[in-house]
Amino acid sequence: MISLAARDILHDGPKFALTGLGLGLLIGVTLSMAGVYRGMIADGRALLDNSGAELWVVQQETLGPYAEPSSLYDDAYRSVLTVAGVAQAANVTYLTMQIHGARGDVRAMVVGIAPGPAGTPGWPPYLIAGRQVTRSHYEAVADLASGFRLGDRIGIRRHEYIVVGLTRRMVSSGGDPMVFIPLKDAQDAQFLKDNDAILQGRRRTEENPAFNRPGSPGVLDAVIASQSRSRSVNAVLVTLQPGHRQDDVAAVIARWKRLTVYTRAQMEAILVGKLIATSAKQIGMFLVILAIVSAAIVAFIIYTMTLGKIREIAVLKLIGTRNRTIAGMIMQQAVVLGVIGFVVGKIAATFWAPFFPKYVLLMPRDSLIAFFAVLLICVLASLIAIRAALRVDPAEAIGG
Amino acid sequence: MKVLQRQGRKLTLVGLMIVLLVLFIVVALRSGPLAPIAVTLDTVEARAVSPGLFGIGTVEPRFTYRIGPTTAGRVKRLLVDVGDRVTAGELLGEMDPVDLDERVRSQDAIVSRSRAALDEAQARQDYAQAEAHRYEQLLVARSTSQEIVAARQDAGQRSIAAVQAAQADVARARAERNAVATQRQNLRLIAPVNGLIASRDAEPGTTVVAGQMVIEIIDPLSLWVNVRFDQGNATGLQAGLPATVTLRSRHGATVTGRVQRVEPRADAVTEETLAKIMFAIPPTPLPAIGELGDVSVTLPAQSAGPVIPNAAIHRVDGTTGVWQVVNGDLRFTPVMLGASDAAGHVQVRAGLDTGDRIVVYSARMLSARSRITVVERIPGVTP
Amino acid sequence: MTTPLPANGILIEGLTKRYGSGDTAVDALKGVDMYVAPGEVVGLIGPSGSGKSTLLKCLGAVIEPTGGRMTLGNDVIYDNGWRIDDLRALRRDRIGFVFQAPYLIPFLDVTDNVALLPMLAGLPNRESRQRAVELLGALDVAHRAKAMPSQLSGGEQQRVSIARALVSRPPVILADEPTAPLDSERALSVIRILHEMAHRFQTAVIVVTHDEKIIPTFKRMYHIRDGRTHEEVGEGRAIGGAIHA
Repeated sequence: MISLAARDILHDGPKFALTGLGLGLLIGVTLSMAGVYRGMIADGRALLDNSGAELWVVQQETLGPYAEPSSLYDDAYRSVLTVAGVAQAANVTYLTMQIHGARGDVRAMVVGIAPGPAGTPGWPPYLIAGRQVTRSHYEAVADLASGFRLGDRIGIRRHEYIVVGLTRRMVSSGGDPMVFIPLKDAQDAQFLKDNDAILQGRRRTEENPAFNRPGSPGVLDAVIASQSRSRSVNAVLVTLQPGHRQDDVAAVIARWKRLTVYTRAQMEAILVGKLIATSAKQIGMFLVILAIVSAAIVAFIIYTMTLGKIREIAVLKLIGTRNRTIAGMIMQQAVVLGVIGFVVGKIAATFWAPFFPKYVLLMPRDSLIAFFAVLLICVLASLIAIRAALRVDPAEAIGG
Repeated sequence: MKVLQRQGRKLTLVGLMIVLLVLFIVVALRSGPLAPIAVTLDTVEARAVSPGLFGIGTVEPRFTYRIGPTTAGRVKRLLVDVGDRVTAGELLGEMDPVDLDERVRSQDAIVSRSRAALDEAQARQDYAQAEAHRYEQLLVARSTSQEIVAARQDAGQRSIAAVQAAQADVARARAERNAVATQRQNLRLIAPVNGLIASRDAEPGTTVVAGQMVIEIIDPLSLWVNVRFDQGNATGLQAGLPATVTLRSRHGATVTGRVQRVEPRADAVTEETLAKIMFAIPPTPLPAIGELGDVSVTLPAQSAGPVIPNAAIHRVDGTTGVWQVVNGDLRFTPVMLGASDAAGHVQVRAGLDTGDRIVVYSARMLSARSRITVVERIPGVTP
Repeated sequence: MTTPLPANGILIEGLTKRYGSGDTAVDALKGVDMYVAPGEVVGLIGPSGSGKSTLLKCLGAVIEPTGGRMTLGNDVIYDNGWRIDDLRALRRDRIGFVFQAPYLIPFLDVTDNVALLPMLAGLPNRESRQRAVELLGALDVAHRAKAMPSQLSGGEQQRVSIARALVSRPPVILADEPTAPLDSERALSVIRILHEMAHRFQTAVIVVTHDEKIIPTFKRMYHIRDGRTHEEVGEGRAIGGAIHA
């Protein structure tokens, strides 16, 4: 027995292929949307993993440093270091801002990393080119997504930095690429204004008679100097010695140092549960709608394809073809269409994923679920079409 | 369509399907989380590491002289302006004497008056002495009483004391007059050394308080750079080390210098060590005071030893080390590190030997279970 | 009328068909008697509405009659109820259909169009195709064996459809207005083919038609009117000309 489904496909090759292509693009879009959803969550996790920290110490009663602004004195880390179980405690600052590069402005998250040996929390955990920062000023390590290359000179606020290293997949939870600069420079960038604002500030201080006493010439200078320094950081990143539990050490720090401390699990809950929750839900809903629409379109395509063959089906029934054979032909075609659609969709989604501005994560598990979903939808759709086909009266073939 | 054409079409379709299938398998295995991680390897070299320290410094004068009046007053005139060179002893300006001249004259008058008082006391003393002597003679001739002689002697003693008092008065009046005259002298602002006028803070007519600076003089030959080094990265900093300074306003032009001294008092708040760098030859034209400069201090080279790039150093479970590829698998090798230089080369004191192969760059975070593939360059990096 | 049953052929006795029930019932067939001998080509003529389509559908086991008896070859297939379980197999193996239009399956080539029926019956593909090619040869379209139906002329397609009707060696062939869209030359050609094949394979052929061009060729005809048939002797005019259309 020959396969009627195969013959029909071969005969109508281009039409079938085009239908499969169209279906595949639709499935690809759905897969991509799922990838966007997963990418958002992965970005949040990457942010936490890449910081290399087990505990985050932030301003009291804030959800910082990612979900809410948080400001600590930069010597707070010294008292955190004294807590039992703490291996490393490093200051860190985060600020999303525009960076001026040779090829235009880039929106990036500027991370201020504390000086120390490689492996200090906050430092990029791996590089793809170049080296880590060695000087205490004016060097930067940038993420590939920023578009900067080794040796580029980039401008952050008032200073110029030279890119000495490149990383990959270091992004903020919003998908902005990260640029790592020494902590002091980052503090200046975050808290020190541009020249005009500084001059205005100085002028205002000079006009204040409390600071500008004639008998005490040094007071004005001291006040201006104190206004020009910044003593704040956004958080302290902590790693623990082996054998100590995150919750225990966090509780100690929180109680005795009057700071708020979050463990890795809590930070993840904040990031995923609060920061990206709304966007994630938005995309999740859209994904569901897209999947339903895709299913409907697949069903429609299969149904229409079957209806186009109604006369052949009537003839086949009349000359003695079994219902089983006809049903098999329809279902086989539907399944082949589904498989082609899925393959095209997966390939398309993989090839256009890197062009999305934010990270698209296509997980094998999602693809597997999608595969079985597509097959299921094709089978169900073919059942509807089969029902229509079998209801055809073979007597239709004999004219009235 | 002929039979062959149909066969051809069938073949095309089948071929297309196969291509699609192959693409699909390739895509499934090479991308996404299943894909192996690209890593680059490098060989540990033996190299002498010249650690360098880097800091930002400001140009400051070594000696600053702030010239001003010792009493409150008004500036009368200034003879110099910013940028002028002056010699030691040169008159820079004058304060307004206000009433000082009158006070000098008044003191002169007081001196004269006290001298006149002294003369008067002297005359009285002469008279009293003569009287006492005469009455003593009369006493010998029994023409007067003992009592009168005693009174005359007492008057004589008192007149001596009066003269002494008048003399002291004269001395005091003179001293006071000298004091006011010195004050009058102080209104002249004199340059204490050869130097350059750095700032002129009060114009003629301005009232200034005692001790307020009117003119600032610096010694241009004594400009140095006050530089701040991060405390953690200041190991080995000591006086006498060679240094290079790149001034902000002179991109690319480095000036050589030497570490003059490391300040005994560091900045505990900013966690920085301070040091002073002297120029070997003062740059011309002179840099402005307050100009920033990037300072690099080269420490003496360490002896050659195995050296790794700092991009290869990772911290896993609290231990510092590098990843190595052994029989296609990843293995973490703990190392002990030594000095590092500005180019990112770090000495290895223990854990690796020259010639070992280590993982330098990776496309993702590595763990002992990661599947890897060794490449020349991580994809996405342009040379 | 009872006639001794021959080895082949089709015999219909008192066939009735009623559509609907009660007051709205319509008797399309009111007792039809028919006999076609093996190798005979008989015409079934009647105006539209006479019940000829209904009769054809009953003969083709496509609809169920209301009463009567149908005998195909040696088997009684209907006697006031179907006597055969698998009607589909009956249609596939023992009845050949020739329609107004060729109705070839467009995505099968000519050989497979013809070989489909034996394949569906379970015959191995090679033998099915062999049989198909033989028949195509008999109908002088063997040179188009590998072509697709869309590449054939109308006449060639019609001959292929006749081959398909014959491939299972059915005892009876039902032809429903096979010449309606054709001109007289081609129509006569088709009728001549039917005569030749009927004789060669000893198949009984019933041709439903109202085509004036071919009616004279029948030796025997059945007229059907108002659900009843009358037998008639026809002209039996000979058909000349080449078999190619």
